[in-house]
Amino acid sequence: MIAMTHAGYVAAGWIGTAVLLGGYAWHVVRRGRKLSRQVPASERRWS
Amino acid sequence: MTATTSPRTAAGTPQPADGAGAVPAHTGSRTTRILGVLALASSALLVLYGLVISPPDVEMADSVRLMYVHVPSATYLYVGCFFTTFASAMWLWKRTPGWDALAEAGAEVALVFSFITLGTGSLWGRPTWGTYWTWDARLTSTAVLTVLLIGYLALRRLDLDPGARSARVAVLGLLLVPNVIVVNRSVEWWRSLHQGSTLSRIDPTIEGDMLVALMVGFLALGLVFAWLMVHRFRVAWLEQQADRFDLDEALALRRAEATTPTTPTDTAKGTA
Amino acid sequence: MWRDAALVAGRDLRVEARSRVTLQQVGPFALLVLILFAFALDPARQTLERATPGLYWVTVLFSALLALARSAALDETDGVRDALRLSALEPAGVFAGKALAVAAELLALEVVLGIGVIILYGAEPAGIGLLVVTCVSATAAIATTGTLYGALVSGLRVRETLLPLLLLPVLAPVLLGATRAFEAALGGAPADGWPWCGLLAAFAVLYSVAGAAAYGTLLEGS
Repeated sequence: MIAMTHAGYVAAGWIGTAVLLGGYAWHVVRRGRKLSRQVPASERRWS
Repeated sequence: MTATTSPRTAAGTPQPADGAGAVPAHTGSRTTRILGVLALASSALLVLYGLVISPPDVEMADSVRLMYVHVPSATYLYVGCFFTTFASAMWLWKRTPGWDALAEAGAEVALVFSFITLGTGSLWGRPTWGTYWTWDARLTSTAVLTVLLIGYLALRRLDLDPGARSARVAVLGLLLVPNVIVVNRSVEWWRSLHQGSTLSRIDPTIEGDMLVALMVGFLALGLVFAWLMVHRFRVAWLEQQADRFDLDEALALRRAEATTPTTPTDTAKGTA
Repeated sequence: MWRDAALVAGRDLRVEARSRVTLQQVGPFALLVLILFAFALDPARQTLERATPGLYWVTVLFSALLALARSAALDETDGVRDALRLSALEPAGVFAGKALAVAAELLALEVVLGIGVIILYGAEPAGIGLLVVTCVSATAAIATTGTLYGALVSGLRVRETLLPLLLLPVLAPVLLGATRAFEAALGGAPADGWPWCGLLAAFAVLYSVAGAAAYGTLLEGS
């Protein structure tokens, strides 16, 4: 890759952000699936 | 109020009562799929522009690349807080549960973005100032804001009768943006007395590829924000429905018990 | 509304007069915090003197948490809430009354702490006018905000841990402003301090209005 100053910090920041957002997204979707199974389809109002 | 719920199968998946095609058991929809694809595409674009195409800054060298994430995420942090306060106000006015769900989503997504803001901010600070933490106005206010959000979400988790909880939570949510404004203004004023450069001072002549990278950052993180908001709102909505569903079930069971004929006092009991 | 406020304030203060909790527990706690700071900051190295304004107000804040929790707790027992709701008392009046009662207790506490700081930290009072006005406005800010937030967590089992978490970030600007004003006063440059006093007063007004407006909803809601 292109040589970068402070590469460690930049990498940590970007990767950390990706992990945080990705992790949270996965957590929300997983919770959504779990709740969707408990709630009857008529209540959901989206598809 | 009768419970018009579909019978549950042994596996716990409700069957659609109207015979329409199977409804997916998740919070996705066409909207979120489109949003998601756009979010991923713009994120890829951001990586391209942010990490490759845009040049290192004259003063900050490559650590400026953190700004392409830090500045937009700080912005969306505030947007999330605004959603919470606005939705809290609307709830206090209309008292419909959708607003309560929106307030919850706004706060939680804002909290995620606050961690990103703090993280990227301090990682930027290390090579620039030599320390991970500087008491500059933006980082300090963001830290306080993070605690405000944690407190708000803590109040939401309480095991209370939902009506009572919603009222308290709405008042707290309504105060969120005013609190943020007061804290930000006073901290800025305070730090301006000890003049030190602030993180928020992006070189005003930012231009060319760096400007493009920043704009792409706003776009990508904005789409991610929107995607997360929709999903989180739906989760909150489902939670309300699940609570109500459980309540309906419990009521139905109770009523079933009450109407089984056992003693003459049944005739004296009116129907509910 | 003010009659209702006087009624409620009178009740709160009478309870305090009989139980003397602020006098016998919160006051000593405040002085204890001052002493602990001395342990932490080594008086020999002058840190205490330089930090006096900040330490003073941090102590006031921590003591205020106790006083506010107690004020909120007064309404949690024995159906007092229902009584308040059913009585014809205006919620805004109840709010004002409670805030006034707490403010009175806090002001008394601040005087005691002021004496404590003079004796224990060797502070030399200067700019008395600014000091007094700062105390009054900061107390108003703390009392109004705290009464509102006390109602938010009242009756909850986690009240003790939740109130500080909710209240302290909100009061951070008050700590900021009061400390800067005190620094200006003690440092002989009161002109620098008055703007901060303005901030405190504005804060107090904001939360007086917010508290008066929201108290009704909170009383009903639980």
